[in-house]
Order: sequence, then structure tokens, then C-alpha cells
Amino acid sequence: MSHWLTTILIVLPLGGALVVWLAPLPRAWVGSLATLVSLLEVGVWIIALEHFHFGSASLQLDQQHTWFRDLGVSYHVGEFAFSLWLVGLSAVCGAAASAYAWWVGRERPRAYFGLLLFLTSAVVGVFSAQDLLLFYAFFEAMLIPLYILIGVWGGAGRLGATLKFVVYTVAGSLLMLVSIIVYGLQQGTFDLMKTGTSSNDWLFLGFALAFAVKAPLWPFHGWLPDAYREAPAEVSGLLSGVISKVAAYGFLRIAIDKFPGPAHDFRVPILVLASIGLVYGSLLAFRAPDIRGVVAYSSLAQMGLITFGLFAANDLGFDGAVLQMVNHGLISMTLFLLAGMVERRTATGELSQLGGMARGRPALATVLMTVGVMALAVPLSSNFAGEFLILAGVFQQYWLWAVVGAAAIVLAAMYTLRLVSALLHRGVGPAVSEAALDLRRGELAIVVPLLALLLALSSWPAAISARVLPAGEGEAVALAAGPLDRSPYPTPPAACRGAGAASGLGRPGSRSSAGPAAAQVGGEPGGGLALRLGAGGRSAACHDGGGAAVAPPARPTPAALPGRGTGTLAAGRVPSGSHGLSYLPRSPGARGPEPALRPGANTGAAGVGA
Amino acid sequence: MRLIDAAAWVCLLAPLSACAAITLGGERLTRRACGVISSATTVVAFAAAVAAFARMLAEPGGRRAHTTSSWTWLQAGKYHFGLTLLTDQLSVMMMLIVAGVGSLIVAYSVGYMDGEDEERRYFAYMSLFVFSMLLLVQSGNLLLLLAGWGMVGLSSYLLIGFYQQRPEAIAAAKKAFVMNAFGDATMALALFLLIEHTGRLDFASVFSHAPRHGTLATLIALGLLGGAVAKSAQIPLHTWLPDAMEGPTPVSALIHAATMVTAGVYLIVRTHPLFENARAVEDLAAGLGAATLLMAGLIALVQVDIKRVIAYSTMSQIGYMFVGAGIGAYPSAMFHLMTHAFFKALLFLSAGIVIHALGGEQDVRRMGGLGRALPFTRAVFAVGTLALVGVPPFAGFFSKDSIIAATLTRGAFGDCLFAVCLAGAFLTGLYSLRLYLLVFGGAQSEFAAEHLHRPAGRLEAAPSMIWTVAVLAVGATVAGFLQFAEVWHPLTTWLAPVAAPLSEATNRQEAVASVASVGLGLAGMSVAYALYGGAQPRRLPRPLALLVQGFYWDQLYAAIFYRPAELAAQGLARFVEAPLIAGSIGELSRGFRLGSGELGRVQNGLVRSYVLAIASGVAVLAVVFLSTR
Repeated sequence: MSHWLTTILIVLPLGGALVVWLAPLPRAWVGSLATLVSLLEVGVWIIALEHFHFGSASLQLDQQHTWFRDLGVSYHVGEFAFSLWLVGLSAVCGAAASAYAWWVGRERPRAYFGLLLFLTSAVVGVFSAQDLLLFYAFFEAMLIPLYILIGVWGGAGRLGATLKFVVYTVAGSLLMLVSIIVYGLQQGTFDLMKTGTSSNDWLFLGFALAFAVKAPLWPFHGWLPDAYREAPAEVSGLLSGVISKVAAYGFLRIAIDKFPGPAHDFRVPILVLASIGLVYGSLLAFRAPDIRGVVAYSSLAQMGLITFGLFAANDLGFDGAVLQMVNHGLISMTLFLLAGMVERRTATGELSQLGGMARGRPALATVLMTVGVMALAVPLSSNFAGEFLILAGVFQQYWLWAVVGAAAIVLAAMYTLRLVSALLHRGVGPAVSEAALDLRRGELAIVVPLLALLLALSSWPAAISARVLPAGEGEAVALAAGPLDRSPYPTPPAACRGAGAASGLGRPGSRSSAGPAAAQVGGEPGGGLALRLGAGGRSAACHDGGGAAVAPPARPTPAALPGRGTGTLAAGRVPSGSHGLSYLPRSPGARGPEPALRPGANTGAAGVGA
Repeated sequence: MRLIDAAAWVCLLAPLSACAAITLGGERLTRRACGVISSATTVVAFAAAVAAFARMLAEPGGRRAHTTSSWTWLQAGKYHFGLTLLTDQLSVMMMLIVAGVGSLIVAYSVGYMDGEDEERRYFAYMSLFVFSMLLLVQSGNLLLLLAGWGMVGLSSYLLIGFYQQRPEAIAAAKKAFVMNAFGDATMALALFLLIEHTGRLDFASVFSHAPRHGTLATLIALGLLGGAVAKSAQIPLHTWLPDAMEGPTPVSALIHAATMVTAGVYLIVRTHPLFENARAVEDLAAGLGAATLLMAGLIALVQVDIKRVIAYSTMSQIGYMFVGAGIGAYPSAMFHLMTHAFFKALLFLSAGIVIHALGGEQDVRRMGGLGRALPFTRAVFAVGTLALVGVPPFAGFFSKDSIIAATLTRGAFGDCLFAVCLAGAFLTGLYSLRLYLLVFGGAQSEFAAEHLHRPAGRLEAAPSMIWTVAVLAVGATVAGFLQFAEVWHPLTTWLAPVAAPLSEATNRQEAVASVASVGLGLAGMSVAYALYGGAQPRRLPRPLALLVQGFYWDQLYAAIFYRPAELAAQGLARFVEAPLIAGSIGELSRGFRLGSGELGRVQNGLVRSYVLAIASGVAVLAVVFLSTR
């Protein structure tokens, strides 16, 4: 099925960029045009949201055109539920960035706005690409505007910042390129929907390192403080809010999904790095002397937390991680914009020079305080919801991770309140003059919608967390059952895991390489860390193989809420497609012989499930 | 929708709507209007609570628990956590206390905050607090309870730091928030355990599925106790409460006396099945309560700030409640929670009148002889003091004695608690009357003579301040008659389906406890009268530094938490971040610069050689990777 929406999402900002660059528009129009285009992008995304069926686990809104047939390379784009949320995040943050740049009136507007739009397009492309080479192309395309935006429009130390940024990211992405080529050649295709899993540790590390630099994870964050400090405020917001999510997405879509074995083996080291980053980032945020330093290091900490969720290898962790990606994206975008607004009024971001800004500036105080308390994950905020899910998930992996996370949350309270107080409270700082006005209408028009989104999300975080991957009863069984796994569920028999891994992500009956690599995975102790992306075959296979043995003792049933029939929930989980990323609900009807390997079987299961 | 459910939602959402209206209204609303909106919505919440209560009275005893859900707030995989409200006997009681005392105090604020610069912000925060507290007591699952738990912490932070220009206020606010965040974190860990082992968080299924004994049960109870101890300012997480007195006085009355700080007691009573699975933790709760009530009573003896004395007395009284909840005397603990809400709010609010009359002065050494100028305030303060000490027939007598009597049912451990509670009663009498005499007794001080001002007219303060205090004084006088030992006990009966007491004291034990505690309370008062009752203050020895400094807890925490965190942050920044992480690229680029001089010769400007170099590099890596398969 061909669907143009994803392509439109990618091409619209690109077209906007071209118009801005090439058309002979008056300079004054450029900013408004770019903002309009990015708002249109948000509109298109909302349409895409309407067309999207969250109950289905298959790839949707997809479009494919062959590019290099013999290499198995194609233009293949489409959305999964979690990528659609990230596309939305990019669209919203892109619009906020354009609007803010327009309000500020950046110099050389044509180049600037063209690059911003180009960046949005590339990021949306990364989240939508279903072909590894295409993914890589977008990944690299995303870096080019960033280099220029930081290097040309940045602050005084922009050159050093750009240099570091370039060195780190190029090193990371070259490793990824090698991994992509080798992996693609091994699999015989670059199409993410067709490739199977691999157990090659080196390839996994190539991908993981690229994403670890991009995120960044400790200790690959050397580029972070300078880049976040020197870039224009809205670019810092995009860097920390959106670009870092590309890394988390990469972990989710490629590193974890395609390399279940290595992802399982390297889980502990990665979680250790994440927890170091969490505590380290929080401590450094606590002593950072300027606004952006605090937000930058808190970003490091937050990426550690999101990594926790991704490598928790269970529903709670995954869903929480995706929710948290959106939360953190919106929050850090807003915080960086606010940092920019404060800096414009005071000409400094040094906390020692600021203070007492609450008095006479009620709008600034209200907005900053609200975002601040959300950033520190005050309960009932969506940030709290995300962190709660992530930590509940990683707790099931091993309790110590959650304890580290909980400690980091206390630290988060310390550094965020320090930031808020240093700006708003106490005596009036030397850099704060009477001329430093409250937020103007234009600024409020940018920040308040972001805030409204956050508040709306806070009232219903399940809007995202329940629509990340179609929920299932069965797959918890298929998830890692390694030595660290403390879940009370018995380990599925090895043969079962092998079969599950073998069915992998491959489109049923396609040329998925269910060969040696998969067998290797299955043979390893503890099996793999697998996503529900394509875990459908796995859980079904496990049911066939291990029936009662797989069922956990005293499995809790989902909380039955009065007035919410299970009917709606069941309906929400009916798989519709027979794509590789299909998923089978745990229902007796699904126990046909090898259901996942036969395209028709899923439909049958759906009938029973409904 | 059933009436009770509708009432529950109205009760919860009315204060939130006030907060939203005031925030959005901004300067379009007059200051007065903000106060009116805030009070009116709290009264609406109270009316809804009364309606729910009345409806519940008409229902048969066993079927008074109602849950109502709106939507699934949070969901991940098979886990669902709804926005669920539970309206049962316990939550209705808390709703009545919170909304009732809350509406009185918000109304009082209209007079107290008059002329303050930022009344709008104040009333928005107050409404937010009432909403959060109602969320806490109405929540139908532990996640929502934790949400309310954190939200009251947030509004407490905002209100303690209300006077934003004062560094002490901001520091106190941050301290309160961070210590409570610690409690939130331990609670969250307990919730993670429950999720892992029961898969749910709604009260009924948690209680029926939670581990019955063993380490897990202990850890769960311990995590919850951590939250309770932090919120209720018990040892060892109590140091934020005295500092919290930096906030406006009505805030201290509402949050740091009547409602929020007693949330820990509510939590223990609400989740008592989990605590009963871990008796050691229950004993720990009682022990911490006992230690706190003794320590706080001692510190209160030497404090010179009127609000701090009352704050330490609050800690001490919550210590009693913890003792009661820890030994399983849940109705007694809740009873004391209720009477305490009346008399402690009364004490704070009448102290507020004094502070207002003296233009903001809080140091008792500058007060004295205020009784003549403020006779009404003296009278209501006296009522509050008598209720606090537990002199019959005032409210504190009934509730405190029922806790003290209950300790006698718990064997040797209970006897120790009994002794500590009695010592606490003596201290209560001592510090309470000391405070009363220092403020109202003796001759008028010079400072008071200079600074005392009362508004023109018959009243000693704004009308809204006077009548609210009067209502509370009536409450502090009569609320105790709700329950009297074995004679009648409607409260115990009411709460029995939710939290039946583990054991009940006999009449003899009640009598022993009453006589002993009233006797010791009066003894404490007579000592105080002997020391402070004269027209001229006696010369007293300098108070122990240990007490003045509050047993050095602040210094201890600074030494073991704050300083190490700061040092770690500095050390990491200086020895890891700067040289290793930020510097590595600098070193690298310096190396490059040196090397590039040499390599410059390779740069011959021919694109084809560059492409060759890139391609060969990738090829080499590819070969390496392929060969290591």
C-alpha cells in the first residue's frame, strides 16, 4: 500500500527550504514563510495521526520505491506508532524554533530559515526511513545544517563548539556507516522491514557508539556543553529536544531490534553508562554556573534515563521511554527558548548575575516555574509519568537501577529548583535591569502552546504511553530472560526462543535471514532482548512450544476499571496487518501451527481476539 | 453518575478551577476577587464533601466504599493506572477535614493577606494546595496518591517560598521540597515493588495480592514509611518543618499543621494492610513517632520564635499520631488528626493575629502583656493551648488519651511508648504554657508598646480573621466529644470497615492513661507558671545549645549529604569533566594541528585522491568487521 503522507511530511519542509533559499522573497517574509511551512507540517502530522491505526503493530503510511534493486536498497518510508510520536515532536519543536527565530530576527534569514527547515525535514526522514541507507542519508543530512547553524550563528565560542561537535559526530556516524554496509551486505538487503537479526557484536557496537555519541551517553558527551551553550537558543532546543531523540530512536529501532543478542549481552555495560550519566549529569547540572549549562547537563541525565527505559526490555520501560522522549523534547525546547529569552534581556546566562526576575514579570515567572516543576518531574506531570514507567520497568530488570534513578530524581529537584530560584527569586541580580521586560505577546505565543501541550499530556500521558507498541499479554515472556532478569516468569525453553528470534523482524515468508545468525541468538544463554517489533512470531511460537510452561504463575490481569470494558482494550489490540512487525495477542485462538510464518494466520487470530 | 461520585469530583475539581481561573485571569481580576474565588471554591468543595458524607450515612455500613474512574491516566503494556477516586469512610473524613479547615483558613487569608503585594499568586497557590491535598486523600490507587503526595509538596514549596525576595524563605522552600522528594522516591520504590509483584496499584487488589510477609513485605512498608516520615516531619526527615515557618502564617496553619503534615498518618492508616504485613515496620513507625514527640517537645522548650514553637509542637503531636498508627490504633490516630487540625490551626491563626498586630514580629522575647490589648486573641489562644495540653474537656484530651491508652495494649514495647507519651504530655504542658505566658502574660513589653496596632473599631483584626478563629475555637472545644473511650465511639464504628483497630484499650487502661497524662500535663503547666508566671520574667539559665540547635540535625545533614554532593559535583567538574571529557578534544585538536603540518603535504587539492582515501578507509574497516564475524 502506498501512502503519501509520510513522504509529504519529509518533503514539505524540504520544499519550504528550497523556496526560502531560491525564491526572490523580501527578507522580511522569510521568517513568516518558514514558520508557516513548519506550522503546516504540524497540520500534516495531525492528519497523519488521524489516519494512523494505533491498534495495529504494522508499518503504516508507508511508501516504497526501489532504488538499487541488486543491493536491496529502496526509498522506503513509513511510520510505527512510536516513530509517529517522534515525528510529531520534531514538527512541533521545528515550528517553535522557526517561530522563535522569526521573533528574534536572526541575521541572514534566508540561509538560517532554510537550514532550520532542512533540519526538520532530515529529522522527520530519520524517524520515517525504513531502509538503512536512507536512514543513514537522513542521519548525515541532519548534521550538515547543525554544523552550519552552530558555526555561523553561534555565540563567541562557536568555532570550538562546532569543531568538537563535528569530530564526535563524524567519528560516530562513520562507524555506523561501516556497520550499515556490512550488515546490509550480510542480510542481502538494506530494508529494515526485511532484514533479520544479527548477533555480531562489532556491528552492534558500531551502531551503539554512533547513537551513544548522538544522545549523548556518558562519557561521549564532550561536545554537549559547548554545543548547547554556543548554539542559538532554538538550535540548542532542537539539539537537546529532538536530535538527541534520534539516538534513542536508533537504539530502539536498530540496535535493540536488530541485534537482540548483543543488546542483551551489552545491556549491563550500557545501563552502567546510563546510570553514571544520570548521576553525573545531575551533579554537574547542580553546579553549572549558567542557565544553559544546567539544562545541558540535565539533558545528559535525561538521556541516561531514557536509555534506562530502552534497555529495561519490558513494556513499562519501552512505553515510558517513548513517553519520556516526547516529554523531554518539549520541556528542553521550552527551557532553551526561555533561556534565550532571558539572555536577550540580560545579555548573560550567568546565574550569579541574575535573580529577582519574578517581581513585576508574572508571565515569565509563571511559565518558567511551570516548566521547571515539570522538568523536575513533579508528580502528576507527564514527565513524572514517563519517569515512573521507566523506573518501574528498569526496576524489574534489577532493583539497583531504579534506586539510582530515584536518587537522580532527588538530584533533579535540587538542580532545577536552584535554576528557578537563581532566575526568579531573591534579590535583583546585577544584570537584571528595569528594562528587562516581562515576556511579550510574541514570545508567549511560542511558549504557551508548548506549555499547553505539556499540560494536556500531563492530564493524559496514556495518550502516548498506551500507543507506543500495541500492548500484549504474551511478549513479556519473550523478553529477555537473562541472568539479570529477576522476573518471576520462568525462562522459555531455548528452542522456543530460537524459533522466536528466527522469525525476527522478517516479513513472514520473506527472505529474512533466519539462518545462522538467528540460530546463534537462540543458542545463547538468556536469549535476546527483543522488542515487540516483530516479536509477534516469537510469542506465538513460544505458546506453541511451551504452552503452560511460559505462562507465569498467578499472572495478574490488567486492572479492570469500572466503566471501561475490556472490549475496547481488546479491540485496540487487534493486529490488522500481516507485515513483519505484526503482533499476536495472547489468546487461545492464536495457537495455530506457526501462526506468524503464515500471513493469513494473523487475521484469523484477530478474528478470535476481537 | 451516582451522587457520591459526582460529589467527589466536584470536591476535587472546584479548587483546581479556582487555581486555573486566577492564573489565567491575571490582572483582570481584582485582588479581592481572587480571595473570594479561592474561598468560594473551597467552600464548594466542603459542601460536596458534606453531601457525600450525608449520602454515605444513609447507606448500609458495609457498602460505603465507592470508586469512580474517569480515564486511564497512565498505561504501559498490560499495566493500567486510572484516574480513580475512592470515596469511603476514611476519605470522606479527610475530605471534610481538608475542605472544612481549608475553607476557614482560606477565608482567614483574605483578611491576613490584605495589602500584600501578590495576593493573586497566593490564592492561586492556596487553591492548588487544596486541590492537591484532596487528590491525595481521594485517590483510589497508589499512583494517584503519589501524585497528590508530590503535588502537596509542590504547593508547599511554592507557599513556603511565597516571600520570594527573602533568601531564607527560598532556602527553606527548597529544603522542604528536596526532603520530600526523598520521601517521594522511597515511596516510588515501594510502588515499583508492588507493580512487580501484584501488577496493580489500586488499593483493594494491592492489599489482597501484596506479599504477606518476608523481606518484600518489609521493604514495601519501609518505602511507604519513608514517604510518610518525610511528609509528616518525623525523625529523621523532620528538619524542613521548622524552616517552613518562613511562609505566611495561614500557610503554616493549613499546610504545616492541619492537613499536609498529617498526610503520613493518613498514608499509614490507608495502607495499613501493607504495614500489618510487616509488623517490624509498624513498630518502627511507632518508635520514630515516640522519638519525635520527645525530641520536638524538648526543642520547643527553648525556641523563641512563636511560629517555631508551634511548629515543634506540631511535630510532637504528629509523633503521637504515628505512635497510634504504628500500634494499630488507627481510629485513635485519625481522631487525634482531626482534633489536632482544629486546635493547631487555631493556635497558628491566633498567632497570626498577634504577628499581624505587631507588624510582623515573631520573636516572643519582644512580646509580653499582649492580653490586655488583644483579649479575644488571648482567649482563643488559651483554648488552643488547653486543647493542645489535653486538659478536659477540650478536644486534645479525648484524642490524645485514646492513643496513650492504646499503647498499654502492646506489651513491653507498648509500655515504653506509654512512658514516652507521658513524658511528652509533661513537655507539652510546659512549652505550651510557656509560650502563652511569654506572649500574653506579664507586663506589656517595650516593643509591644511601641509597635502594637489594632485596626480601628471593636475587632482586634479584620473580620474574616476573627470569625474563622472563633469557629475553630468552638471546634477545638467540642470536637473531642465525638468519641469518648468505651462510652460512645461513633468514629471507630465509622472507620471500622476501612481501618479497624488492632486492639482496643480496656476501661481501666483508659482511666490510667487519662489520669496520668492529664496529671503530667497539668504538672508541666504548673512548672511553666512557676518559671514564667511572675510579673517580671525570672532569670533563667541559658538554654542548652543542643536544644537551640535542634539536636544538630541540620549540621549533620549538611555534613553527610549536602557537602559531599557539592564536593562530588565540584570534583567531577574539575577532575573529570574539564580534563578528560571537555579537554580530550582540545588535546586531540592540538595533536591534529601538529600532525596536520606533516599531513598537509597529502592535501594536494585533488578531489580524486580524497575520495580514494575515504573509500579505502571504509573498505579497510569493512574488511575488519567482515573478518570478525
